[in-house]
Amino acid sequence: MWKGFKKIINNRYTILVFRLILGGIFIYASLDKIAYPEQFAKIVYNYKILPHSLINIFAIILPWIELLCGIFVIIGIFVESSSAILSMFLVVFIIALSVNFLRGLDINCGCFSTDPKGKEEGAILLIRDFILVAIGLQIFVNSLKKIAPDK
Amino acid sequence: MINMKEKNNSKGRTSVFVKLILNGVVTVVFASILALSYNSFSGRGISLKGNWSGKTLSDSLIVPYSYQEGDPQAISISEAMMEFQAPHTIFLDARSDFDYKQGHIKGALNLPFEEFDGFYPEVASKLPKDKTIIAYCDGTECELSLFLTRILREEGYQDLKIFFGGWAEWVEADLPIGKGEEP
Repeated sequence: MWKGFKKIINNRYTILVFRLILGGIFIYASLDKIAYPEQFAKIVYNYKILPHSLINIFAIILPWIELLCGIFVIIGIFVESSSAILSMFLVVFIIALSVNFLRGLDINCGCFSTDPKGKEEGAILLIRDFILVAIGLQIFVNSLKKIAPDK
Repeated sequence: MINMKEKNNSKGRTSVFVKLILNGVVTVVFASILALSYNSFSGRGISLKGNWSGKTLSDSLIVPYSYQEGDPQAISISEAMMEFQAPHTIFLDARSDFDYKQGHIKGALNLPFEEFDGFYPEVASKLPKDKTIIAYCDGTECELSLFLTRILREEGYQDLKIFFGGWAEWVEADLPIGKGEEP
């Protein structure tokens, strides 16, 4: 059972699908933030995690890293570092969402849309992010095998 | 033989690691350059360092950035002083009970926003819904009072106001205060 599962998730076509999913989601997620930096900065502010002086610069740069890494993961350039960066982002998002969930702040996650009405359910967001981290790490581990020296 | 192999392998691992970091740095730097260029050329670009400490409403009333249209009315210290003397008004301290015990606006009840569920049942009995409630916390940058009024509104309170100047302005103006658990 486990062997079969491992075989499936290590299959090159599965990895390709994973890359399309992860890359596609991040490209999609970056576009609205790039188009509306001011709204995105407000969302970052609402998370109440970054110091005020870093909010704008973070809101300007983060979506571009998402976009670039998303493209790289799909077209196959720097797949290992890009999937590592995206997985790291997802872990940070999970922490940020959980912190605000525990603090009781009802905020817009700003995941895909900068529209303040676009609120999503916290638990669903976390589950989605966990699944994406798993996908990201699987891409990362798989791509590392390719650049690692022979065993 | 085995030693050589191990040595080569660990060397290989180091080079993989270096390559990984290097590629990551290149990506981030490249993305940053693109981001900053786009930000300076696109019509919707924002300044690199924003002003997030507060926004000024009419007559130099400063409110936190998250204060929105439709939120309870924000009042200045002079309005807060007038409300303080009115019989139908209750001041509500949204800070922690620790801060409250250190000092609070005289007569204010304590309902910490961060422990709302624990405190509310007891406080609710002293908080009739037909009274005017003035929420406050530390000072202009503090949003606990704002968040507290948003929840209270859902609980059915309608006459809510926020004194954003809060504890800081009250003390500065040398107005009546209480200490300990007594309102």
